[in-house]
Amino acid sequence: MRFDTLVAIALVFIPFSLTSIGGGAAIVAGIQHETVTVHAWVNSREFLDLFAVSRAAPGPGMMLATVIGWKVAGWLGAFVATLALFVPSSLLCYSVFKLTNHHRDKKWHRAMREGLAPVGIGLIIAGVLSLFRLADGGVTAFVIAGLSGVILYFAPRFPVLGVLALGGLAAMLASTLSTWVSSL
Amino acid sequence: MTSPVPASPLETPRLRSLFLLCFKIGVLSFGGGLSGWLYREFVLSKRWIDEEDFSSSLAISQMLPGANVVNLVICMGEQLRGPVGALTCVLGFLVGPFFAVVGLCQLFDALAGYPLLPVISDGVAFAAMGLLIIMCVHGVRRAMRFPPSIVTIAVTAILVGIFRFPLIPVACVIAPISVALAWRRI
Repeated sequence: MRFDTLVAIALVFIPFSLTSIGGGAAIVAGIQHETVTVHAWVNSREFLDLFAVSRAAPGPGMMLATVIGWKVAGWLGAFVATLALFVPSSLLCYSVFKLTNHHRDKKWHRAMREGLAPVGIGLIIAGVLSLFRLADGGVTAFVIAGLSGVILYFAPRFPVLGVLALGGLAAMLASTLSTWVSSL
Repeated sequence: MTSPVPASPLETPRLRSLFLLCFKIGVLSFGGGLSGWLYREFVLSKRWIDEEDFSSSLAISQMLPGANVVNLVICMGEQLRGPVGALTCVLGFLVGPFFAVVGLCQLFDALAGYPLLPVISDGVAFAAMGLLIIMCVHGVRRAMRFPPSIVTIAVTAILVGIFRFPLIPVACVIAPISVALAWRRI
């Protein structure tokens, strides 16, 4: 049973490793679908919590897989999920880099670089959309995400951890305020 | 150790130094945007990699699947110390975040009884979405130079994000078309 779970974790994350064009943000929508809807390893609430945790911790956003693996099957699950998500893409990057770095001025190399970039961006937008749907946070979600985007756009050097903390604080204030207003 | 002939102005780092540098960047890497940091360390401060090698590595890391930073440290490691160097860099980079993220998860579970925790967690997730939105804004602005790229972005986002088509087949169909369009343009 436990072994089956580990295999299932690997089988879910390996294909995502090779489709995470533009990084981990591109596969949030897909990971959510597989782990919440298809396998029911975590519910929507837990998925959002894990997303928040993976963003508040250091490291690439792809560590979302690590915490899902940990939630499903403990340390071993975390280890398998991490390997499944990082090994295939790393091997691919290593081989492509080694084989093509000398051809970087060639036309096909440029076409590949410029052609893949918009696919990655489209996938990230899809990820944002599915997170919004999952969070179902209404106005608060839009306001906090919008403000955080504005801060980071105009002040790129503003510490990310600070923005995340402000987001948590703002949500807390909004919730306290609305409880207080409705109790009047 | 003195060498009479300065074969290369760039020195070859030891594996241990590579591991430690990547480890440091890994544990301190909050919220992405690390390419700038790697540039500062590998190119400017340690002078292990030259400008042009760095920017071509960056382009490859960004176009291929995988976390950009992880791909980038693989390219750095390969250039400096071959396959062993690449492995050293990846391990050094990921080992810190691996334990940090699980640790944070445990902390989160330990605080689970606290009623405001889901609210705060939502707030953090919303703020993190802002980070993703910024990536989208920059990407869309870059794509403006070539209108078909905007179409690619829109079709991908709508199919996966709104119609909830499975991500992997969509990416496998759209990516070659997008590369072919870029090929015709340049």
